[in-house]
Amino acid sequence: MLFFKHIYTVIALQVTLFYFNLRIYTMKVYKCIVTCAMMLFSIAFYGNTNDDLTKLMSSDSEEKTEALRRLIEAQDLAAFPVLSAINDKKLFVYGGKLVTLGKKTTHNNITVYELITLYPETKGITDQKNKSLTLDNVDLKEITFSRKDRLSIIPLLPFINLTSIDDEVRKLAYTQFQNKGDYSTLKRIEKAALRETDEGLIRFAKETILSIRLQNATTENVQMDLIQKLVKNKGDNNLNILTTFIDRPELDAVFKKKVKIQISSIENRSNRIEWVQNLFSGVSLGSILILIALGLSIIYGLAGVINMAHGEFMMIGAYTSFCVQELFKMTSATGELSDFFFWASIPLAFLVSGLFGLLVERLILRKLYGKPLESLLATWGISLVLIQLARTIFGDLTSVKAPSVLSGGWEVVPQLVLPYNRIFIILMTTAMIVLTFLFLYRSKNGLRIRSVTQNRAMSACLGISTKKIDAMTFFIGSGIAGIAGCCMTLIGNVVPDMGQTYIVDSFLVVVTGGVGSLFGTIAAGLGIGQLTKLLEPVFQAVYGKVIILGFIIFFLQFKPKGLFPAKGRVADD
Amino acid sequence: MKSVFKNKSYDYLLFLGIFLILLPLGYLFDIVSITTISLWGRYFCFAIAAIGVDILWGYTGILCMCQALFFCMGGYGIAMHMLLSASGKGVYGSAIPDFMVWNQVASLPWFWEPFHGFPVAVLMCILIPGLFAGIFGYFIFKSRIKGVYFAIITQALALATWLLFLRNETMMGGTNGLTDFKMLLGFDLSTSATKFGLYIISCFVLIAVYIGVKQLVKSKFGKVLIAIRDSESRIRYTSYKIQNYKLVVFVLAAIIAAVGGMLYVPQTGIITPGRMNVTASIEMIIWVALGGRGKLKGAILGSLFINFLYSIFTTALPGSWLYVLGILFIVTVLYIDQGIIGLPNQIREYLNKLKTRKA
Amino acid sequence: MSTPKTILEAHNLKVAFGGVQALDLSLFKLKENELRVIIGPNGAGKSTFMDIICGKTKADSGKVLFNGNSILGKTEVAIAKQGIGRKFQKPSVFSSLSVYDNLLLAYQMPKDVWSSIIFRTSPAVSDRIHEVAERVGLEDFLNIQAGSLSHGQKQWLEIGIVVIQNPKLMLIDEPAAGMSDAETAKTGALILSLVKEHSVIVIEHDMHFVEQIANEKVSVLVSGKLIMEGTFQDVRADERVINSYLGRAI
Repeated sequence: MLFFKHIYTVIALQVTLFYFNLRIYTMKVYKCIVTCAMMLFSIAFYGNTNDDLTKLMSSDSEEKTEALRRLIEAQDLAAFPVLSAINDKKLFVYGGKLVTLGKKTTHNNITVYELITLYPETKGITDQKNKSLTLDNVDLKEITFSRKDRLSIIPLLPFINLTSIDDEVRKLAYTQFQNKGDYSTLKRIEKAALRETDEGLIRFAKETILSIRLQNATTENVQMDLIQKLVKNKGDNNLNILTTFIDRPELDAVFKKKVKIQISSIENRSNRIEWVQNLFSGVSLGSILILIALGLSIIYGLAGVINMAHGEFMMIGAYTSFCVQELFKMTSATGELSDFFFWASIPLAFLVSGLFGLLVERLILRKLYGKPLESLLATWGISLVLIQLARTIFGDLTSVKAPSVLSGGWEVVPQLVLPYNRIFIILMTTAMIVLTFLFLYRSKNGLRIRSVTQNRAMSACLGISTKKIDAMTFFIGSGIAGIAGCCMTLIGNVVPDMGQTYIVDSFLVVVTGGVGSLFGTIAAGLGIGQLTKLLEPVFQAVYGKVIILGFIIFFLQFKPKGLFPAKGRVADD
Repeated sequence: MKSVFKNKSYDYLLFLGIFLILLPLGYLFDIVSITTISLWGRYFCFAIAAIGVDILWGYTGILCMCQALFFCMGGYGIAMHMLLSASGKGVYGSAIPDFMVWNQVASLPWFWEPFHGFPVAVLMCILIPGLFAGIFGYFIFKSRIKGVYFAIITQALALATWLLFLRNETMMGGTNGLTDFKMLLGFDLSTSATKFGLYIISCFVLIAVYIGVKQLVKSKFGKVLIAIRDSESRIRYTSYKIQNYKLVVFVLAAIIAAVGGMLYVPQTGIITPGRMNVTASIEMIIWVALGGRGKLKGAILGSLFINFLYSIFTTALPGSWLYVLGILFIVTVLYIDQGIIGLPNQIREYLNKLKTRKA
Repeated sequence: MSTPKTILEAHNLKVAFGGVQALDLSLFKLKENELRVIIGPNGAGKSTFMDIICGKTKADSGKVLFNGNSILGKTEVAIAKQGIGRKFQKPSVFSSLSVYDNLLLAYQMPKDVWSSIIFRTSPAVSDRIHEVAERVGLEDFLNIQAGSLSHGQKQWLEIGIVVIQNPKLMLIDEPAAGMSDAETAKTGALILSLVKEHSVIVIEHDMHFVEQIANEKVSVLVSGKLIMEGTFQDVRADERVINSYLGRAI
C-alpha cells in the first residue's frame, strides 16, 4: 500500500515533563531530501509536505486530489492547518501562499478579513506598517475541492483540531482525548504538544498525555508516578481524571487510599483557589461600590442630599466612553479601533458627568438645600428624565469594546485567573480614593469643602463662597460617578438603566459608612462587597441581598449613624 | 360660617357628584364604557394607597420608598385567593394554579393554604403587611433611623423583595406574576356588572378610608404626627415616645396600602412584581406631592390626576411618560410645594407679595 | 426654713468629641428652686452639659443624679417624664401647628399613642393653656401658626412649652439670643418668675441679661471645666474669669 511508502518516523528520545527537550530524528523513505526546520517550539517538515502543499495550488484537479491524499496519509502536523482550512472551505491563495481567513471586520459596508498564513506556521500576515493585513473575500483566489476530497479529511478531524489557530478549539481537542486514547493517539498528541507555546495549553497537553498514559499503565508504581505528575501539573481536569481512575475495579484498597490522598490534595488546592477567587470578587464588587459611593458620600456629607440621579451620572460616563469609541471609529481611516479611545474617555467622562452634576446643582438642587427629602424626590425625577433621554438617543443596547490590554486575565497560579478588567477597576478605585483623599485633605479647596461640610454658616462668615464650594463638590462627586461609569463598560453593556444596578447597594454603603466619611465609605464598601460574595455561593444572590439588608438593619441598631459617625454638636441638627 | 360651608362641602359634593352619580349614570345610559369605569375604579385603589403615603410622608414626614410593596402584598394575597377559588378550572384542570404546573410543583406550598377561604384571605391580606411593617418598623424606628437613611433602607427593602418575587421558587408566579383570575366570591370577574360593582366598592372604601383617616389626623394623635414632622427632638423632649407613633403610622399606612392593593387586583386581573419595584413606590409619593402633601384631599386628587395623565400620555405619546413623570417630580418639588390643592393659596400669596413689592 | 434639698448633682462628668475634651466636670450641684446661670466662652461645654442631662448626648464617664436617681443612659423620654424640661438654643417649636396646639401637645397628660387618639379636650386643659400663654405673653396669638411668630415669640413659646410640662428642673439654653432689648427684659422677668415653681439652669452669653437674672450663683465653664462659682459680682471681679472670658466679651 502507498501508505507504507510515505513513512516518516519521529523518535522522541527524551520527553521530560517540565522541559520539552526533544531531539528528533527523521527518516524519509520515498524521497531522499530531508530538511529540518526547527522553530522556537515547533518542528516542521519540509520536503514532500511542502511539495504537496504547493501542488494544492495547482490548476490540475487530479494533481490537487493526489496531493491532498498524500498529505492525509503523511499525517504531518504542519499540514493540518491547511487540511482544517480545506474542511472549512476557507483555503485561499494570496501572494503565492496558502492563506485562510481570520477575524472578520465590517467597515463601510464592506466585510474584510484578516489573512492568516497556514504553512510553515500559522500567523497573521502584516503589512509594512506591521498592521494586520485585511482583505476583501473577493480579492482572494479560493482553492476548492470536491466533496469527496473533503470527506476524506474527516477521519483526521479530531487531530486537525489539535493544530487549530483557536486556543479554545485546541483545548477542547486535548480534552476529548483525555478519557479515550491509546498509544497511537498519544504520539500525535505529543507532537501537537510540541507546537504549543502558551503555558496554559502546554499544561492541557501534558495533562492529556499523562491521562492517556495513566489509563494504559499497568503497574502501581507507574500509575502512582503518573498520578503525582498529574497533581503537580495542576491541570484543569485532573480531579476528574483521578476520580474516574479511582473507580477502576481492579485497584486494591491500599493503593486506592494513596490515590485518595492525592485527590484530596487536589481538592484542598481547589478549595483554596475558590476562596481566593471569592475574596477577589468581593474586593472587586466592593471597589465598584466604593467608586460609586465615593461621589455620593462627598455630596451627601456636604449638602445632605442623597443624589438619586447619581447612578445616571454614572450612566452618562459610560455613554461618554461609548461616544468616544464611536468618534474614534468614525475618524480612524482603516476602521480599526485603537485602545487609546478608552484611556481618552476616562477624563472626558469625568468632565461630562461632572458638568451634568454642576448643571443639576445650579438649576435644581441649589433651591432645595436644607430639604433632603425634597432633593431626593427631585433627583429621582432627574434620573427618570436622564434614563429616558439615553433610551431615546442611544436605543437599548450598546457596548464599549474593552481595550485589548484589559482582556484576559492574570494567571496567578493554574486555575486562579484574575481578570485584568477587574484588577483595573480595583486599581482605578484605589487611585480615586487616593486622589479624593489628597484633594480633600491636602488642597485648599478640599479644606474649604471640609469646612463647609462641618459648618456651613460659619464657613460663609469666614469668606468662603459656599455656592462655589457646592458647585465644585457636585462637579467632583458627579465626575467620579462618570469615571465609575467608564469602568462599568469593562464589565457589562452600556444600557440606559445601568445606573440602577449598583446604586441601591451604594446608597447602603453610604448609610453604613456614616455621613460623608471617606473611611466609612471604604470600609462599608469592602464589607458589603465581601459579604455579598461570601453569601452568594451559600445562598443565591437574591437571598444574599435580603440577608445583607437584614444585616445592615441589625448593624444600624447599634450604630444608627454608621461606622464612622461625625461626632460633636455640629453633627446633630 | 358661610364661607366655611362652601369651602368644605364643595369638594365633597363635586367628588360624589362625578364619581357616584355622573359616571354611574353615564354607564347606565351607555355613554361611558365599562373600561372607563373600571379604570377609575383602579385609580380609586391608588388613591386609597396615596392616603397611606400622605399620613406617612405628608403628616409625619417619613419618606417611605416601599409603600408599593405593601400595596402588592394585599394584591398578591387576594390574587392567591382568586386562583385557589378557581382551582380545577385552569388549563390543566389541576388543583394548583397553572403557573405551578409549569414550574413542576406537585402540591400547594404551605403559605398558600390560608388563602382558600375569603374571610381568612382578607384577614391575611391585612395581617401580613401589617405584621411585616410592624416588625420592620420596630427595629428601624427603635434605632432612630429617619429622613434620608429611612428612605434608603426602605428603598433597599423594596428592591430586595422585588427580586424575591421575581424568582420562580418563591412560588409567587415569578416575573409573570399572578393572573387569569376567574371568580371572586362567586362573581364572574369578566362581566360588566362585577366590574361596576368593584368600582362602586372601591369608591366607598376610598370614602371610608378618607373619613377614618381624617378623624385620626384631626385628633391629638394627628397633631403629634405633625409635631414629629416639624421638630422631632422637641416632641421627644416633650416626653412623647415618638417611635411608637411612627410605628403605628407606618403599620397603618401599610394596611391602607394593602387594602388598596386588594381592591386593585380583581379589577386589573393581573399582579406582577413590576407593581412593587422602587419606581412604583416613589411614584406614589409624587401623587401625594403633586396633589398636596399633608392634605388628604390632595393625596386623592394627586393620585387620580397623575394616573389619568398616565393613561392619556401612554396612549397618545408612547415613550413620553417617563419624561412627563420626571419633569412633574422636579417641577412639583421646586415650584408647587403645596401641591395642586395649595396652588390657589400659593398664587394668592405670590400676588400679595407682588403687590407689597410694588407698594 | 430648712435647707433646700439638692435636686441635681453631677460628679466627674466627662465627654470627648473626637479627642477634644468637651466636658470635664468634677462637681456640680443645684438646689431646689434655685436659678443658676452658666456662662462661658464658645465651646466651653455649656450646651453639652445640658445635652447630657436631658439624654441627648451620652457621657463617657461620671454620674448625674436627679432627685437622687441616676439619669445617665436613660432615654430622652424617660428623663423628660422624671421632670426635666429643655429649651433649645435654636428656637424649636412645631411651626405648622397653632400656638394653642403647641401648648396642648406639651400639656402634662398620658402621652402614649392610644391616649392621644382618644384624647378629648376639657376646660381644665384649655384654662391651663390660656394661663401659660398669658404668662409667656402669647395669649393673643393662640390661633396663630407657630411658624409665623417672630423670633422672640418663638423663644417664649418654647419656654411656654417647657413650662406647661410642669418640670421640676428647666434647662434653658440662651433664651435671649437674637432678642431686642425690650424682649430681653421681658424674658428676664419671665425666667425670674419661674423660680417659684421650678429649679432653673440658664445658659447665657449676654452679660446684661445675666446681671438681670443672676439672683443667686453663676457658674463659669471654660474648656469643659468649671473654673468658679459665685455671685455675679464675684464672678465679674474674678481674675481668671476676666482673662478667659469676660475680658474678651465685654
